[in-house]
Amino acid sequence: MTNFAIALVLGGFFGFSLNKAGLTKYHKIVNAFRFTDMAVLKFMMTTLVVSMIGLYVLRDVGLITFPAVPATYIVGNIIGGLIFGVGMALTGY
Amino acid sequence: MNQIVQYIRREEWSPYVAGVLLGIVGVLAVLLSNSLLGASGAFENLAGLVGKALAPKVFDNVYFNFVMPPGITWGVILLVGVFFGGMAGAWTSGTLQWGKKDSANSDSQWKRIFGPQTWKRWALAFFGAIVLEYGAGIAGGCTSGLAISGGMLLAPAAYLFIAGMFASGIVTALIVYRRRY
Repeated sequence: MTNFAIALVLGGFFGFSLNKAGLTKYHKIVNAFRFTDMAVLKFMMTTLVVSMIGLYVLRDVGLITFPAVPATYIVGNIIGGLIFGVGMALTGY
Repeated sequence: MNQIVQYIRREEWSPYVAGVLLGIVGVLAVLLSNSLLGASGAFENLAGLVGKALAPKVFDNVYFNFVMPPGITWGVILLVGVFFGGMAGAWTSGTLQWGKKDSANSDSQWKRIFGPQTWKRWALAFFGAIVLEYGAGIAGGCTSGLAISGGMLLAPAAYLFIAGMFASGIVTALIVYRRRY
């Protein structure tokens, strides 16, 4: 139950940050593919760097163990990504 | 303090500030409940739940039994939070609108490219979302679940996925926009 409460709160901040970064808007997503607005990339890369540092520090201190890392199957990952990109550019999700 | 409140009320934050916020959320998710942020997986959990109730034979396969077991998972609850979090974001910037006629299709760039019809926006969103979710199912995650959550654990899958996503996204945008690209 606490786990679900955590999920609800974290989800709240997740949605909040997406909204404030403008990623809920069609033009932000599509313009990333047109190279006219790099907000999506700036947002994604900042998130990656911050959480990467946090997670690796916490792991080395011994506070966490990594959850199951998403599986790598090269062809599937790339084909999935290719299909996903079409949908992403069309909907602006 | 006043300045912080003012900043929160702004409609658009610097993507760096919002990125730091999501980065912290990503770390907390692992620290507090040993889970990864994600969105597309939750839809599959829910789809499995509905599918098992309506057509148990069709949904009795490896994918829905083991890869994406149906049920109300951590990710589903997370999505509920995302929904209200997004609303809170719009509310703090004063753009939350109820029942306005064009609020379902308010993006001026979209209107310029595809025209003002709302049904077109909805139809394209519906069709595109099917394509998108299918791709996410094959790859094993979406932008949040694979690209960000996998990327922060340095999973090779995440970077392959980002490469594929941008390659086809750019081509699709080229086709849709043609000379207006």
